[in-house]
Amino acid sequence: MTKANLSDSLSVVGERSPSILAPISSIGFLYGFGFLVRNLVRREVRGRYRNTILGYAWTVIEPTLLSVVYWFLFIMLAGNPDEYYAVWVLIGVIVWACFGKSLMSSVTSLSGNTRMIHLVFFPRIIFPATAVLANIVITMMSSLVIIPIIIAYGFPIGIHLIMIPVSIFISGFMGMGLGIMFAPLNCMQKDVEHLFKFIVRAGFFVSPIMWTYEMALERGVYGDMVLWNPMVAPITMARHGLIGKWPDMPLDSIVYSIGMAMIFWIIGSIIFHRYEREAVKHL
Amino acid sequence: MSQTVISMQKVRLDFPRRRSLKSYVLNLFQRQDNQFTALKGINLEIEKGEIIGVIGTNGCGKSTLLRVITGIYPPNEGVCRVNGNISLLAGLGTGFSGHQTGRENAILYGSILGYTEEKIIEKLPEIISFSELGEFIDEPIRTYSAGMKARLGLAVASAIQPEILLIDEVLGVGDPTFKEKSTNRIMEMVQEAGTVVIVSHSFGMLSKICDRIVLMEKGKIIQQGDPNEVIQTYYNRAKGINKEGVE
Repeated sequence: MTKANLSDSLSVVGERSPSILAPISSIGFLYGFGFLVRNLVRREVRGRYRNTILGYAWTVIEPTLLSVVYWFLFIMLAGNPDEYYAVWVLIGVIVWACFGKSLMSSVTSLSGNTRMIHLVFFPRIIFPATAVLANIVITMMSSLVIIPIIIAYGFPIGIHLIMIPVSIFISGFMGMGLGIMFAPLNCMQKDVEHLFKFIVRAGFFVSPIMWTYEMALERGVYGDMVLWNPMVAPITMARHGLIGKWPDMPLDSIVYSIGMAMIFWIIGSIIFHRYEREAVKHL
Repeated sequence: MSQTVISMQKVRLDFPRRRSLKSYVLNLFQRQDNQFTALKGINLEIEKGEIIGVIGTNGCGKSTLLRVITGIYPPNEGVCRVNGNISLLAGLGTGFSGHQTGRENAILYGSILGYTEEKIIEKLPEIISFSELGEFIDEPIRTYSAGMKARLGLAVASAIQPEILLIDEVLGVGDPTFKEKSTNRIMEMVQEAGTVVIVSHSFGMLSKICDRIVLMEKGKIIQQGDPNEVIQTYYNRAKGINKEGVE
């Protein structure tokens, strides 16, 4: 057998497109492996509330109880919130949870799938992507809680409600982009995971969950400052959508938010693509 | 004319050692060896239709070798080339989810192994009948025994015919009757598959079916060739190592 003949028929194992193309090629993989992605998302969603009596009802109960607690807390601390305060908190909790869970599950997407990584080979971007898609699905389910709210408060039903799924998607996507930047690093040192747990917890207070964008505006300079946080726009968009209006905030801040999510994805997918192969050797 | 389907040239694979903060600090002052080399310059050519056995003591790099061929680990040096679709039979039932039914898990596991949707739907009746699970197939698999899970795993994993089949110690699962059935099934796969690489400690079986056996020691191939000869070498060397240990 000659050398030339050999290179004709054989292809190099693990040869891949350059990392710089990862933001696009990764999406191609998700389409190409659509059947696998669907099955893994289903596994994840089914698994989340296993062995529970209330099952998927927890997707609604959890944020509702949490917002009741914050509502009490707020009355005690500040007194006399506006009439929709509990609703604002609820929306904030739901959208933030989507971001936080997507971020954490992306950071741990490689380290948490050690066994599967050791035994089967497919594009590893599928691990964070399925975890995040499952989070988005679960968050969409929990956002059904708005139906009784709309009825109770008499909010108009209209096209504006589209802002809720849109902002859920943006926050999930943003969490993934940020998370996959650090997923390879988390294979080497689990410290990353602990750091991000803290970031999600601290981010809860820095983001408009217990407060709203309007409250920040009343404080003058803070109104501009908080807009540096890319999570302000999605949460505010969802809130405004719920009461039947288009986002009442500077357009640049929405563009900024979506732009940040895209930048996170571009940088994140390149880093993930570039380092995941060496990183899994640490598992 | 024979055709090469797996070609490894000077493949070296390093594993990083887990480091603590202390070793990071020490590393600033002195160069430490932070690598463990699992494969040290492996050269291996496998031709179409060959059945190859890989033997060696634990930790000599047998499983790592298969993982490099599959693409799970990229080599640090050298190249590994293949021609044809590869299936690694290892850790049956990876990715099973306990609260889904056997049927759903068969589909899930099939998709993890890379089957297309049409293929798995087509093979499903065959998988279910081979797994002998009966009505349990529609029960959540957290209610299954270990043997039942293994049966379902094998039924799914063996439903396709890859061109290159890699087997990592999965022979003999379940009760004795099924054990025989599973061994037969794997033998069937081995006969039908174009090319097979088996990692195993069952030397009797290997010497029966293999065309060639590769002996590995500490990340290197130290001998390859006629099955009986190589197995003999393995025993000789094992004795030698034991003696050294005693002295």
